[in-house]
Amino acid sequence: MKSTPVTVKRLPDASDQASQKRFLRDIKEFVSRSTRPRLVLDLSGVEQIRPESVDLLLECVDHAERGDGEVFVAGPSARTTVILELTQVASVVRMVSSVREATAEHQPDDFESGTQSCSLHAA
Amino acid sequence: MVQGLGVGLVSVVSRDPQEPNRIHTMIEWAKEGVEQILLIVLGSYAEIDLVDLVRFHYQGQHPVTKVFDQEGPLGVSLMHRGCVLTDQGPADHDGYQPSSRYDFLGYAVRLSSTVSYRRLVKDALEGHCGIHPTGTQVRESVWIEPSARVDPSVQIDAPCYIGAASNIKAGVTIRGCSSVERNCEIDLGTILDHASVLPNTYLAPGLYVRESVVDGTKLEHLGRGVSLDLGTAGLSARIGRRANPLCRSMRVADVRRTGAPGR
Repeated sequence: MKSTPVTVKRLPDASDQASQKRFLRDIKEFVSRSTRPRLVLDLSGVEQIRPESVDLLLECVDHAERGDGEVFVAGPSARTTVILELTQVASVVRMVSSVREATAEHQPDDFESGTQSCSLHAA
Repeated sequence: MVQGLGVGLVSVVSRDPQEPNRIHTMIEWAKEGVEQILLIVLGSYAEIDLVDLVRFHYQGQHPVTKVFDQEGPLGVSLMHRGCVLTDQGPADHDGYQPSSRYDFLGYAVRLSSTVSYRRLVKDALEGHCGIHPTGTQVRESVWIEPSARVDPSVQIDAPCYIGAASNIKAGVTIRGCSSVERNCEIDLGTILDHASVLPNTYLAPGLYVRESVVDGTKLEHLGRGVSLDLGTAGLSARIGRRANPLCRSMRVADVRRTGAPGR
């Protein structure tokens, strides 16, 4: 079992339910095998988050919370930031400007294998 | 205010330069014997002492007096009929009609943006300008129109204004010089913080509306300079699904109860 493992993910297409289910299953698995997991959702490039994605984000917070973890929202646009503030989701996640900021103190070994750990360098 | 001067004729004329009757109307007035024409271009709020302006105009040597503040012209001019009856008409008088400049040092706000509008609302609620909110002053700096419905659980921090026929539901919080104009509905648990809600607007349950002006489904966040359509964002029950925003806020509340990771 890793300590403070990190995974970096992008939200799936809001209109693709199969992708959403797969995404949530991955999150559950990640949380279940981790202690205090850190889930970083990379929203850079998303102009405006859709309502379905807000719901999905809340699901992630719910799962992360069960594992005593936390969810970071990285690189949200101004519109997405306003929507997350409006829906009060901003009060239950950490909003950061980039994936790099969310993962700054982590070593490559902390990253879950197969996830977008390359974002650490790309952000 | 204008009628307080004893002015018998007040007319609203289109600002559109393509509008053919725009100039014609003023020429007709002048032909009919109107001696002085006070032209107020809508777009700013200025507490000008019009009596003093008229006095200044009569004392001046020019057929036109224009009002300026520190930022420039305020769109208020007083002109003699003679300059209206010239061939070119008043619309073109800027270039060739000699004018007097009346420097106004009082309160003025140009209503060219929602930021300016919010400033005017804030100044009115804080008593920094001559606008006095209507309605019943239920306590210091809190005005509520008699026909508004405000649930007893609503938390209001002064100053605040709630307009006629508006419905403020249970658990709502209103703070930070916020205003709700007429015929609005603020649904369960929503928070208004430094926000103005324009007439006929519905706000879904559980929202946190901060530093914003909301007009129907359009929200403008002044701090971030972002405009949103609440309908397409899935946050307007009038357009979208009513259950979702409430469901979402309840879920946020659930997460908070178990211990929020963010704050």
